Amino acid sequence: MTPNRRTFAAGLAAGIAAPALIRSAFAQGGSTKIGMVVPITGPAAPSGAFAITGAKIAQEAVNKAGGVLGKPLEIVTEDDQTTNPGAVLAFSKLASQPDIIAFIGSIRSTQMHAMAPDMLKAAKPVAFGGTDPNLTKLGNPWLFRFRPNDSYSGKVIAAFGAKELGKKKWAIVHSTDAFGTAGGKALTEALPENGGAVVLDQGYANQSQDFTPVVLAIRQSGADIIGSYFTFENDLGIFARQLRQLGVNLPWVGSPSLVNAVALQLAGPTLNGTYGVADYAEEASDAARTFGKLFRAQSKAIPDNQSSWTYDAVTVLAMAINKAGSTDPQKIREAMLSVRGHQGAEGPYNFDKNGDGLHGYNIVKNDKGSIVFDKRIEFTPQLG
Amino acid sequence: MDLVLQLLFTGIGIGAVYALVALGFVLIFRATNVVNFAQGEFSMVAAFLMVLLAVDLEWPYWLAFAAALVGMAVLGAVFNLTVYYPLRHRTYLPVIISTIGASIFLANTTLALYGPQPRVLSGWFDNPGFTLGPVYVDNQYLLIIVVTAALVALQYWFFEHTLLGKKLQATSQDKEMASLLGIRVSTMIMITFVYSAVIGGIAGILVAPILFVSIQMGATIALKAFAATIIGGFGDVAGAIIGGLALGVIETFGAAYVSVPYKDGFAFLVLVAFLIFRPQGIFGERVAEKA
Amino acid sequence: MSTAATTLVPARPKGRLGLAAYAAFAALVVALAVGVPTNGYVLNILMQAATFSIVVFGLTVVLGLCGQINLAQAAFFGFGAYAVGLGTTDWGGPFWLWLAVGMVLATAMGALLGASTLRLGGHYLAMVTISFQQIVTLVLINWLPVTKGPDGVGNIPRPAPFLEAHVYLGLCVAILAVVGYLVWRLPDTKLGRAMRAIRDNELAASVAGIDAYKVKVTAFAISALLGGLGGGLFAGGFAYISPDQFSFAESVIFLTMVLLGGVASPIGAVIGTSLLILIPEWLRFLKSIPGLYLAIYGAAVILIVLFMPDGIYGFVRARLERWRRPVARPGNAAALTLSGGGSAGAGTVLELSALAKHFGGLKAVDGVDLAIRRGGVHALIGPNGSGKTTTLNVISGLSRATGGQVRLDGRDITQLPAHARTQAGLGRTFQNIRLWRSMTALENVMIGAERPGSAVANDAAALEERARAALAFVGLDGRADEPIARFSYGHQRAIEIARALAADPTLLLLDEPGAGLNSTEKVELRDLLRRISARGLTILIIDHDMTLVSEVAEHITVLNFGRRIADGYSADVLKHPDVVAAYLGTAPDAPA
Repeated sequence: MTPNRRTFAAGLAAGIAAPALIRSAFAQGGSTKIGMVVPITGPAAPSGAFAITGAKIAQEAVNKAGGVLGKPLEIVTEDDQTTNPGAVLAFSKLASQPDIIAFIGSIRSTQMHAMAPDMLKAAKPVAFGGTDPNLTKLGNPWLFRFRPNDSYSGKVIAAFGAKELGKKKWAIVHSTDAFGTAGGKALTEALPENGGAVVLDQGYANQSQDFTPVVLAIRQSGADIIGSYFTFENDLGIFARQLRQLGVNLPWVGSPSLVNAVALQLAGPTLNGTYGVADYAEEASDAARTFGKLFRAQSKAIPDNQSSWTYDAVTVLAMAINKAGSTDPQKIREAMLSVRGHQGAEGPYNFDKNGDGLHGYNIVKNDKGSIVFDKRIEFTPQLG
Repeated sequence: MDLVLQLLFTGIGIGAVYALVALGFVLIFRATNVVNFAQGEFSMVAAFLMVLLAVDLEWPYWLAFAAALVGMAVLGAVFNLTVYYPLRHRTYLPVIISTIGASIFLANTTLALYGPQPRVLSGWFDNPGFTLGPVYVDNQYLLIIVVTAALVALQYWFFEHTLLGKKLQATSQDKEMASLLGIRVSTMIMITFVYSAVIGGIAGILVAPILFVSIQMGATIALKAFAATIIGGFGDVAGAIIGGLALGVIETFGAAYVSVPYKDGFAFLVLVAFLIFRPQGIFGERVAEKA
Repeated sequence: MSTAATTLVPARPKGRLGLAAYAAFAALVVALAVGVPTNGYVLNILMQAATFSIVVFGLTVVLGLCGQINLAQAAFFGFGAYAVGLGTTDWGGPFWLWLAVGMVLATAMGALLGASTLRLGGHYLAMVTISFQQIVTLVLINWLPVTKGPDGVGNIPRPAPFLEAHVYLGLCVAILAVVGYLVWRLPDTKLGRAMRAIRDNELAASVAGIDAYKVKVTAFAISALLGGLGGGLFAGGFAYISPDQFSFAESVIFLTMVLLGGVASPIGAVIGTSLLILIPEWLRFLKSIPGLYLAIYGAAVILIVLFMPDGIYGFVRARLERWRRPVARPGNAAALTLSGGGSAGAGTVLELSALAKHFGGLKAVDGVDLAIRRGGVHALIGPNGSGKTTTLNVISGLSRATGGQVRLDGRDITQLPAHARTQAGLGRTFQNIRLWRSMTALENVMIGAERPGSAVANDAAALEERARAALAFVGLDGRADEPIARFSYGHQRAIEIARALAADPTLLLLDEPGAGLNSTEKVELRDLLRRISARGLTILIIDHDMTLVSEVAEHITVLNFGRRIADGYSADVLKHPDVVAAYLGTAPDAPA
């Protein structure tokens, strides 16, 4: 590490010569490549743009620190078009390049399911962000999750709302897609042990233009708190506005989309006072603060989980490959599984035998438009 | 009762949006006998133009609005010249595919130029709405209802009481006869496309403050507007309006009293029922016997 | 349905040699698919192309052959995929069983959808299929206990011995080859000809004895069947399925595939499918600007529709066709037998009693009685708007009578649909010629000869022989294999008559056969009618040309304002004062 950093510092001193120098220094062995499947087109394209920014920030940091296996880290992206067939082709295209030694998969669970058979065949580590708990129970040893899975978000929302806020009668609003359904289920299951009960379980289809019936149902249900799993921010924005217009001002605790950057921009003050579970909260730790600073230097947007998970994924993959000391997938896998207490932007990483790295969530509050860290709720993982 | 009134208002509001977009479908269908699958993209493009002018360039709202509509008129003309006109002598199928191609093109060109983030466009009013008895009235919905009504009235006057309007009607009823009467059919079709693009644009700009400005906004509305068009009877302006409003109301009440996740299904169930039992729509004429 | 199709007569492999060559080629491709090592990316593309192509074949049948739009193909694709996916993982049982279940399910849904809506056409059909598609998608997403909802179905197994991806690909390619061959041959079967006839001119198809509704429903069911087959194979190929793969957007892509490649042939379907899978892959290098490559894709779709109206394969074929000249055949056809005559003057062939047809308040036909005796030529005349063509349409079943009866050979046919009347022995031609313009003269006449119940309908060789004989009868057997567009107007008229004759009718209805003919052609027509009449076939003719009418017809019936004003032997009727008044009292007719 040190000699490399010194070389690099010397290069920096040389000013304009630096890029050329790095290129020549790295040139002998080419680069170490990580493949990344990401939505560049289609409905999830907004989240794809953030994912790429997060990965690039980590890539720069890794390369500044000497790269991976002595070579610069390169990230090869392929568009999944936000569709499953698109994702399968994108992944298999990456997988057919033998010099790619690890992958970053999708934040969308259904696309992870679609790619999973090919990922098993590729037999190289895949870092992914889809939060369906089943993904790490497929018996696929190559999957490593870089976000807390939905069973945690349900537990955290239930614990925070029922215990900290003391609200027992829940109205659950969730998208009927894979993410929303699984989330709603996890929350429903976690409520009884926290003393809460579901008075309304309301699914909705993505890209609804109107939520008046949902809001009225909440008003009628006698609920004293809302728990939500929204997939798309524009749905969330419409719901939030109509909620306030129709005079519903119940406490509201929701999945990460409630407190992400796009939602804040779209929904504005209608989200004031809401709580979200966030895999990323800028004030949660020093590592999170560091990432926040780096992200703000790159983008006008507010840093959130859509970029933090790829940042962590690239960082940890680079770390594991360096620790393994080779491109051998099995060795990298073992290095991944042995990660303990790595402080990532999203929290402490401890990979269990299933490949789940994170085991807790931050609770953040939307305080008049700015996201304020409230507390972190951490569960003890069963490390194998 | 309060509940019913609130649902009714929302249903009519969302229905008015469908109706506005449906109007564009009907006009083009009457003039050319083809369905324009890119009609929804007109709304989307106009909303993005509005974001560009009113938000990014900070033009006054009315000026941006006028400029966006001029832009839509140009788009309508270009659309006609490239997507419809060269195919005018072919059957409806190639035209359908060509408009589908145009829809993919417009959506993704906007994406390439503008990036994937949805945007916020503020409404015409600073005040979002007011409470009228038990009903919350969203100002933007109110505006949409008023504008739809005004446009329908204007259109009625235009078609029934102006020479150009009558020429357009004649063209839509019988192109051959119209051209024998010395009406320039191609000009009439051009006017129709320009007008449809502008109407679609108005719909897009009006609905943007409610649904946000996104690449997908056009496609979602267009499919419903399409259903509204059938329910109202293809080729009938009054039918499209009633169809749109009916759809909005049915959907809202269906969601409230039957099922929210299946909300989008009501539109299509009603549609299928109409197609099987009353294919001529609410107002449409009997499908002529062929001989 | 497409302009250039009129000049296109797809050549198909004839005989065993062609089949053997095709089988050898297919075997080679299967062997390559199994044997050549490829990486996962190429394999996935090939797997997708093979399974999608089978689905798109369905559209070749329903849209290309039968001219009916189907925007729900992805839903049928989904039925097959979900049957295999859920069947093999949740309910147990072999892959093949569930593949069959999926195909049956898809076919049943296709037939049901078709049966409920195929009486509508064009845009309405488009809308119903879109609605069906949306509802299926919603059910797949929301019916959690059965479909597993948006999570989709994973870990779908492949059947032994096709476990390995390359071998499974080989299976898909083999099925593709077989289905492709069947679809390729379909246009030359009875069903295929009926579909093409409906596509080119549905009215003429009904009048040729084709049950258009049944054939359309069949086409729809076949399309759904192939969708289901492709879906089942797809599920095995990719091991995971979820609702968004079977959405409306996917249906639009299937439609674009078939139109892009060329709707007329399964080769076009394969080309279109492969290209639409490959183009976005080729354009991936443009990914740095989001949306750019899909924008280019959209523009490419418009350009291909503009400049290659028959798709890529149609475009290539049209270029190749230029090098092929039609081969003139010597006229050595057998003589045409017409049995419908019987002995002249014996009995009544057609009897109308109090026949009425009202359109709202307009009484187009208002209580007409008419009896046509066997043999000879009977003319129905009258000024414009007197109800002649309406009468003919009511007789042939194109419009339903408001009241009264139509009896053919003593049998009441008033309630029969058009195609059933043709089967009962009616033949007719149209004022504005209604031939199937994408077919050859021979094919047109063969469909005529093929009417159910005819002696030759089930014997391909006899059928062709009869069709050639009918063409010989009108003097066009030497040009039997030329497409319709190459014939003059007068010859097209003759082909239309040959088509009706080939069915061996009891009664031939001719709707203004002289319209638009020049004087030489009229003389030829007169001679032709006399020759037909000489064979003992009864003819009912409508025409404005009094010379023609008086030269061929022995009997004349005159209509005015929907009522019969005179009836009897030609010479007498033409002198009848009411007839003279009707003709002189109204504006002179412009021949239509």
